[in-house]
Amino acid sequence: MSSGPFDYYAKRPHGHDHGDAHGHDHDDHAPVEDREGPPSEFEIMSRAMQELLEAKGVVTAEEIRRRIELFEEDFPYRGGRVIAHAWTDPAFRQRLLADGRAACAEFGIELEAERLIAVENTPSVHNVIVCTLCSCYPRALLGMPPTWYKSRNYRSRVVFEPRAVLREFGTVLPEDVTLRVHDSNADMRYVVIPMRPQGTEGWSEERLAGLLTRDTLVGVTVPKAEGK
Amino acid sequence: MRRQTEPATRSSYAPAPGHRFNVGDRVRIRQAFPPGHRRTPYYIRGKRGVIERICGAFPNPEELAYGFDGEPAKVLYRVRFLQGHVWPGYRGPAHDVIEMEIYEHWLEPDGDKP
Amino acid sequence: MSDEAINKGPHDIGGEPAGPVDTTDHGMRFWEKQANALRSVLSRSGVVKVDELRRAAEGLGDEYRKLAYFEVTTSALRTLMLEKGYFTEAELSARMAEIRRRFDVPDEMESPVKQKAKR
Repeated sequence: MSSGPFDYYAKRPHGHDHGDAHGHDHDDHAPVEDREGPPSEFEIMSRAMQELLEAKGVVTAEEIRRRIELFEEDFPYRGGRVIAHAWTDPAFRQRLLADGRAACAEFGIELEAERLIAVENTPSVHNVIVCTLCSCYPRALLGMPPTWYKSRNYRSRVVFEPRAVLREFGTVLPEDVTLRVHDSNADMRYVVIPMRPQGTEGWSEERLAGLLTRDTLVGVTVPKAEGK
Repeated sequence: MRRQTEPATRSSYAPAPGHRFNVGDRVRIRQAFPPGHRRTPYYIRGKRGVIERICGAFPNPEELAYGFDGEPAKVLYRVRFLQGHVWPGYRGPAHDVIEMEIYEHWLEPDGDKP
Repeated sequence: MSDEAINKGPHDIGGEPAGPVDTTDHGMRFWEKQANALRSVLSRSGVVKVDELRRAAEGLGDEYRKLAYFEVTTSALRTLMLEKGYFTEAELSARMAEIRRRFDVPDEMESPVKQKAKR
């Protein structure tokens, strides 16, 4: 059981600089809360697989470490920047809508294997994303999906009672707004372009990006300017 | 490090030579329940919708799943469905939709008028 | 499996009745980040395809519903690594036993009687 909400985007202070060339045991990276008890069977299995594959030259510890770092410190911050830019640059927005991957590349973001479709919210249309079959998600753009996105309850219900699910997130859509649910079930990945909230005129892209949490980019909530 | 490389043309809207359906075509998802790895959700089998976009041609995931190369590539479409046509008891407004990606071999033309 | 759901995999759950969504994000434990990174590196280098990982997860049957997300990922990866001959079951068990010794974790396969006898 979790000890409480975990702010995935919070940069964690480290005891040492990742740039150091010294080899070190993976345990150096384990946050304090992971040492509450003995490792589970699956933690042991995952570790064993990695060690066997390292010994056979299939992966290196450095590759794994680097990948963890990208997921932690790079990917989660990309989506907000791209969408904030779409808010401020209408021509970029159109290019993003036409070809998500190419627009991100233009913005300096390489989406790796992701083929991206951006869908925009308007006063008459609201979009929400799910992958009912597994947990497809534009990880190279948004980082890891939140635990609720991967949960049975979300995956099962958002396709047949999306408005009820959105209410559970505190989002109520008027009846005259069309709700488009996207089941991300094959090769495409999706990101929502929310409507830019009132009261953000003149904001920098960096400040706008701060409003664009994963929840808003999946479409279960809408961004709001918090009256600063 | 060995990386999977893709042809530069494989963007979101890679060409789909020989595509059978066009945007706006009415289609029905095949009512078939074969075993094995499928990316056509159970709940959409047999349902009627409209082609929303042609996504391009991709290696068939149903074969990639078993270690085959999935060639020749199959055309992938996005199909839009009225929620009321998918769920008998759908409680939202009639204009709500659900959209997903369906491979060409799961589609049949649907000429029936509603 | 009911007669009305022929060949419906345990993952194919769109439309099934379910409870309220726990809207809080519970983040990832460190081992889950490692498991995710391992999957990602192997996928990017072409050792496994995402389609194979999905198929292996779907093949877990009843276990799929019982396991947590990264337990499914890890089980699926294990299936594929064995299938493709990257290591054997024996090698994996041996390495797991060695890791358990490093952590001084009791072997979950041992009976409670044996464990009691050690103390």
